Amino acid sequence: MKTPRLIASLLLGALTAGAAEEFFDRLEEALTFSAAETRIRARLSGTLDLEGYVLQPPAPGVIDTKAQRLFSPRLTLFLDAQLGPRIYAFAQLRGDRGFDPEAEKARVRLDEYALRFAPLGGRSLNFQLGKFATVVGNWVTRHGAWTDPFVIAPLPYDNLTPLWDTQAVPASATLLRWAHVRPGLSAAAAAVEKDRRFPIVWGPSYAIGAAASGDLGRFRYAVEAKLGSLASRPDAWSHAREQIDHPTASVRLGYRPNPMWDVGVSASDGVYLREFAGFTVPAGFRRADYRQRVIAQDVTFAWRHVQLWAELYAVRFEIPRIGDGDTLAGYVEAKYKFTPQFSGAVRWGRQIYGHIRESGAPVRWGNDVSRLDLAPAFRFSPHLQLKLQYSLQRGDSGGRDHSRILATQLTVRF
Amino acid sequence: MNLRSLPFMALAAALLPFCPLRAASIEGSVVLPKARATPVVNQRYEIVAKAGVLSTNPPVAIVYLEGSFPRPAKQPVVQIVQKELAFSPSLLPVQVGTKVEFPNFDDTFHNIFSFSPAKRFDLGRYRPDEKPVPSQVFDEAGLVTLRCDIHEHMRALIFVLNTPHFVITDAAGVFRLSGLPDGRYTLKAWINSKTTMERVVELKGAATLRVDFP
Repeated sequence: MKTPRLIASLLLGALTAGAAEEFFDRLEEALTFSAAETRIRARLSGTLDLEGYVLQPPAPGVIDTKAQRLFSPRLTLFLDAQLGPRIYAFAQLRGDRGFDPEAEKARVRLDEYALRFAPLGGRSLNFQLGKFATVVGNWVTRHGAWTDPFVIAPLPYDNLTPLWDTQAVPASATLLRWAHVRPGLSAAAAAVEKDRRFPIVWGPSYAIGAAASGDLGRFRYAVEAKLGSLASRPDAWSHAREQIDHPTASVRLGYRPNPMWDVGVSASDGVYLREFAGFTVPAGFRRADYRQRVIAQDVTFAWRHVQLWAELYAVRFEIPRIGDGDTLAGYVEAKYKFTPQFSGAVRWGRQIYGHIRESGAPVRWGNDVSRLDLAPAFRFSPHLQLKLQYSLQRGDSGGRDHSRILATQLTVRF
Repeated sequence: MNLRSLPFMALAAALLPFCPLRAASIEGSVVLPKARATPVVNQRYEIVAKAGVLSTNPPVAIVYLEGSFPRPAKQPVVQIVQKELAFSPSLLPVQVGTKVEFPNFDDTFHNIFSFSPAKRFDLGRYRPDEKPVPSQVFDEAGLVTLRCDIHEHMRALIFVLNTPHFVITDAAGVFRLSGLPDGRYTLKAWINSKTTMERVVELKGAATLRVDFP
């Protein structure tokens, strides 16, 4: 951890100096282009994130490491382009050690790219094509490192369900072992099980697809068809061929009575099993017969220095040989700016599981999870932010009643 | 001559030194830099653009007479509005002690903040119809950069000055400062945070001085 600490110290010293703001303003100017009397405009921007985690193995959620400490740097570049009044394009390129924090070699990915066309020239109707974040819920609008008050995503986007997407469950007893409800996971299964599980929504779900959205006064709508379910993993987002016959349909309807409030209802229906899991479903069935069905509600409130968010996901997984596996996950999150530079956020999340039948008796198909997150943040300048997050999780914590995680994220925005 | 008008003529002559008609003026021009590229609104996760159009502000300069002048008896109040996802005006010179109001004319939230040493504040998110209009008093000289925490492309500058004698050039760089007091002063032309040009000027009577920068 010496190198990250050194980098962080250097950055802190350099970027809080008065000249830094001018440097970033000049950089922004240099990275902004316009032509054809400003009808064509483009801007490159980005963030450099230095993330560190101190945790109790096994790491919770989508963090993938066997160690107690993890350093996860990330460079993100954004391209935003306006081509006349009706066409907008954007792209997001990331260089990091994996989409989710993990101890892998550095790699570069094009996480998002999309073209948006507004045929009516306004906000009432927009078509979008490409690889982009889901329209479901309200976390996506703030999921960037600079705007998210936390380092780790809320429970519905992070906590792993017991299901595997690579293999259909052979029996209810197996699912309960995968879920850690019953002991007896084989050594081979234990070695790979975390890599095969998935959350309700995998992060912002940057799958390939098409969308239509618009703003009709106080109402907003967005519908999308994506080649990947909400639960699909980052590796699958680029494999369009795999889901070409089974697109996932999602919709969000929003109501904004005034700028303070925004409430929304979302729904999604898609296939959560990967292509190779098709060989393991019962004879006479296809993997497309097993769906992930989602109903979600979200609410946002903001006024002066207070911001509140809440989401509730009701999810049904159709599980081969078992039937319906229901789960409910949600959270409430609040942020307050104490001073222009110092803010704090608190979030409480919970995920509970329904029952399946095993040997004729009802049994919960997953361990309920509660998580409390606390996150103070300090903005040294309009371009440098430091966040800390302390999380206390109860349930499904590798045999412990509680697990703790400490995360920090230093973000340079340019 | 009508003798009855004599007292009035005497009074007029006595007041002449204080009359604006006798105050000096400076006119001239400033060579302005090239226009900045028009920013792009980040719409990745929200539809925010007004058909992709952004109002643009041509580069201008602030010309002011440096010196220490008394604060005005009545607090000046001026406005920077937020309209169509832009600050207007995007450059505002004010005298120390001025109150600046920030009305929001968009149908969405804005969140103005400044981390500048001359004035550090964060107004938070407020509705377009909120009363009283959120404001700040700028009581320390210096350059204040305004930003919006929600719309990262929004930027404006407030230049807080110790003098009441300032003017913004037009887009061609032409300016005229009038009503100036007699004396020897430094005339400055602020172009951006890196570039300020200056010239010593001697002001006397009702003369109009011509100063061109550079």
